[in-house]
Amino acid sequence: MESSENGRESNEGISVKEENILNFLDSVDGYLILMDSLSSTLRQGWLELASARHSMGASRINSTLFDLKLHPASTTLQVNDQSAAPDRELPHFTLCKWASSNNPEKYFEEAKFGEVELLKKSNSLRHRDISHNSEIQARSPESVGSPVTVDDQAEKERYKSLSMFGTLVSPKLRASQLSFETALEMLVEVSNMRASLLCAHDQVQKDMETATK
Amino acid sequence: MTFNIHGGYLEAIVRGYRSGLLTASDYNNLCQCETLEDIKMHLSATEYGPYLQNEPSPLHTTTIVEKCTLKLVDEYKHMLTQATEPLSTFLEYITYGHMIDNVVLIVTGTLHERDVQELLEKCHPLGMFDSIATLAVAQNMRELYRLVLVDTPLAPYFSECITSEDLDDMNIEIMRNTLYKAYLEDFYRFCQKLGGATAEIMSDILAFEADRRAVNITINSIGTELTRDDCRKLYSNFGLLYPYGHEELAVCEDIDQVRSVMEKYPPYQSIFSKLSYGESQMLDKAFYEEEVKRLCLAFEQQFHYGVFFAYMRLREQEIRNMMWISECVAQNQKSRVHDSVVFIF
Repeated sequence: MESSENGRESNEGISVKEENILNFLDSVDGYLILMDSLSSTLRQGWLELASARHSMGASRINSTLFDLKLHPASTTLQVNDQSAAPDRELPHFTLCKWASSNNPEKYFEEAKFGEVELLKKSNSLRHRDISHNSEIQARSPESVGSPVTVDDQAEKERYKSLSMFGTLVSPKLRASQLSFETALEMLVEVSNMRASLLCAHDQVQKDMETATK
Repeated sequence: MTFNIHGGYLEAIVRGYRSGLLTASDYNNLCQCETLEDIKMHLSATEYGPYLQNEPSPLHTTTIVEKCTLKLVDEYKHMLTQATEPLSTFLEYITYGHMIDNVVLIVTGTLHERDVQELLEKCHPLGMFDSIATLAVAQNMRELYRLVLVDTPLAPYFSECITSEDLDDMNIEIMRNTLYKAYLEDFYRFCQKLGGATAEIMSDILAFEADRRAVNITINSIGTELTRDDCRKLYSNFGLLYPYGHEELAVCEDIDQVRSVMEKYPPYQSIFSKLSYGESQMLDKAFYEEEVKRLCLAFEQQFHYGVFFAYMRLREQEIRNMMWISECVAQNQKSRVHDSVVFIF
């Protein structure tokens, strides 16, 4: 009786260890895939930037046009306190994108790898604002936080960040911006994946030490 | 009959310069280069050789572009010093576009608190003038005009955009396009006054330029705060698209609507037929190819000033090709090199 219970416990222990090893291998696989995607997204972004420079001219796209005025960051990184929430599902890092300096409320979007809108490389152009007014329409309080409002805000912040190159910029420059934006999200995913990878590695190490004792 | 008295020597010079443009075989060699040093080695056998031979390693793509541009500037200055009226005025007109770009660069950079010296280094050499550094002190367009531009050839173009509004990104963009519109219209009128083959050839080339600008302004303004009325004001008052095409372009909301407008005009059908629906990436290349075709045709006739304009533009296209090839080589993206290279011969 005791030997069958011991056998059951050791079987469970082995399956837990195998599960830990599988988790570790999955994490490594996911990390390598993410790194590869990041590399190809960055390559695409740099080529699109060169293409925009080719289209608009070197006098319109060059490093001396970067804005040196003090302004709040449009995107910030939030580091989550893992000790407060030991739940492994909670990501270590969260990207807070396109927080508007003009709007008292911030719009948070968690970086989600595979998010269709941002991974889609937009070759099609954005539609012109159908408003006949040249002024930006005031946002009504009840619409704050709705998905359409978040998208509009993100779009406005994107245009604002490109304004150093002029207001009428080539679609290639906007495509380049999207590529780098996607790369930024991937970087955060890579960081979160790396944290999971290290956790899984630590678990496997512990299991190996237990096995050798 | 009497063209050769004053213009014969320079026409011969510019035709000689034209024979120095890179050929398809040169481009094939350049597209196979693995590094920027290889590009430098291949260019050493061309007319760019003396300009690049003393450049130290490691080379940068911007260095290659700067040195190629220096060659163009030297050739231009040689022609300008030898030219008499009205050819000298014609040659000066060719540089006003670069002058406008330089003015906007300085003003935009100053708005973003950049150092003036850094900005001056990025200016195109063909567009430099004496008081350009003073642009940095202007707060609005009135001051821009009063302090600096009143003594430059751009002064007449400012009457349409002088306001007391402070310079911000949108106003600068409108200023850029308004100045360029006024310049193109002025150049067009000047060529019409010259008459003969110059008027005929330059009318065609400048009309194409005006139409291309209208299309680019339309596409680039989609999704921005630029209203339809403002957009319409930026289109030139000549060209194949003027006036009905402009009316239709101003209300376009995406590339497919732009396509449906342009396909009504036979010269532009072939350009847009190369693009798939919803796609605009290859539009620039298609326009450049059409422009090169028209510029090369300018050399088929003699005794006109269009050859000078055509040569300058063909060299600029060549420099754009060099820039693209260098970027593809530097970024290890040689498979994309033919995306934007436009062969001249």
